Amino acid sequence: MSPSPAAVAVEDRLFRALAVLRLVVLANVVVLTVVRSGDVERPAAAAASLAVMTLWTGFAIWAYGEARRRTPALLVADLALAVALLLATPWVMRGDAGSLPGFWVIGALVAWAIHYRWVGGLVAGALLAAADLARQDVDRSDYGNAFLLVIGGAILGFMCQSLQEMATERDQAERAAAVAAERARLARAVHDGVLQVLALVQRRGRELGGEAAELGRLAGEQEGELRRLIRAQDAVVAGADDTVDLGAALVQLESRPGVTVSTPGTPVELSAGTARELVAAAQACLDNVHRHVGEDAPAWVLLQAFPDRVEVSVRDAGPGIPAGRLDAAAADGRLGVAESIRGRVADLGGTADLVTGSFGTEWELVVPRLGSGA
Amino acid sequence: MSLRVMVVDDHPLWRDAVERDLAAAGLEVVAVAATGREALARFPAARPDVVVLDLQIPEPDGVQVTAAIARLDPSARVLILSASGEQADVLAAVTAGATGYLVKSASREELLDAVRRTAAGDAVFTPGLAGLVLGEFQRRSDEPDPGEAQLTDRETEVLKLVAKGLSYRQIAERLVLSHRTVQNHVQNTLRKLQMHNRVELTRYALERGLDDDS
Repeated sequence: MSPSPAAVAVEDRLFRALAVLRLVVLANVVVLTVVRSGDVERPAAAAASLAVMTLWTGFAIWAYGEARRRTPALLVADLALAVALLLATPWVMRGDAGSLPGFWVIGALVAWAIHYRWVGGLVAGALLAAADLARQDVDRSDYGNAFLLVIGGAILGFMCQSLQEMATERDQAERAAAVAAERARLARAVHDGVLQVLALVQRRGRELGGEAAELGRLAGEQEGELRRLIRAQDAVVAGADDTVDLGAALVQLESRPGVTVSTPGTPVELSAGTARELVAAAQACLDNVHRHVGEDAPAWVLLQAFPDRVEVSVRDAGPGIPAGRLDAAAADGRLGVAESIRGRVADLGGTADLVTGSFGTEWELVVPRLGSGA
Repeated sequence: MSLRVMVVDDHPLWRDAVERDLAAAGLEVVAVAATGREALARFPAARPDVVVLDLQIPEPDGVQVTAAIARLDPSARVLILSASGEQADVLAAVTAGATGYLVKSASREELLDAVRRTAAGDAVFTPGLAGLVLGEFQRRSDEPDPGEAQLTDRETEVLKLVAKGLSYRQIAERLVLSHRTVQNHVQNTLRKLQMHNRVELTRYALERGLDDDS
């Protein structure tokens, strides 16, 4: 298994942080040893140990600085030195003076946790704890320290692993997004060329008439279809899990002859259920246009998004509904379509208003946007 | 005096068709170009009243050409004629200074009408473009920036009716305004959109990665 570049980058950072930690624990052990010099049985050996720790700290910082130098030999040597210093403690120090390397062993522990993850942390922690307890005269706090070494090593290793995995995943997600963006850019160029030709065939066909006009009509249909698909595809990229882009959903209504859909140009995210009901309501409005004005009658759908609500209006250029006809229909209990539109929208907590006049008939559907404050 | 028109499109068949239609209607096609570079090289000498411009052309693209033309000759009008109607591009082109937009599937009559109206200084909107512009101003009012102009209630109302497919004449009737007043309102919305065009263009260029020109 070769780690991903992102995981290596994380490891690099962690080892840079460890370099600082190594210097801190080195200073700590030097100062402590000097302070406790009365407990030192063999001063020369203690001095030699401090010298070794200092040299090893410098070497370790350099050696761990690059990924290719982090070999098993380095890690084993790092841990072996820490264990050896712990085991030498009874010989160098007197009685209950505490261990010779003290917190300095953390350097090896953390290095194992970073490089070998939770298993490494656990192994290094267990070995260090065993070496620490092998000293004579261990008291209760030594047991506590040993326990912390084992647990801490494993937890640290687990966290390093999680960090590396997260970095790898983020890296993959970023790469996937870049690939998708490039693919979309290429697709745009291809689509544009196709749309150009379809529009041209449509145009020339109309001018030539006859069979060519039929070809032109077909090209026009495909052109509309392709444009709709492109907009739907853009929405797929933008959409989150349980929300959909109402704009893209409404654009699908353009597959009906004569229908033009206008949207704000940025995704209008709504819960899938709300969007479905709104599209169905708009569809019902268009069914009405179809029935009362004509099969190919032009109709316009406009979507507007506000922070607190969305507005969908559906307009036709028909003769409008004669005054009193709606009331008469209501009186007869024949308000089927209008009532079903109002009912759908009311279920979403919104309102549906009908305006009619010489300009045609216009439905105004207003639905509040709930949750997520979007 | 006939209108002077320049046609910019990288698709030769399409360019010829537009040129033929314009010429047949008595308009003077003073130049054609297939790329953004050609367009900008020929524009100063051709001095067209209207540039009929495709957005997807070889570098510099339609949006950049629009911005350059607006700088070179603010009296020249740009009519965008786009096949894909890519929403971000259309909005960017209008923000950069184009005053008209038409999809290529429009008929010859619609094209001629749009060229004439653009030349006369009218803003030629499709309902789709009006929806985009409404959306843009709505976003601006959601996150107000003192440097960005907002629409008045009347302008919003007029634009909304354009987006609902009403003609200027129908809007004038419905709101009991003169035709001229409606046109002014629509033009004002464009002017407010373009007021910030340098900032917008920079943002557009950054988003599209055009700053690292290779």
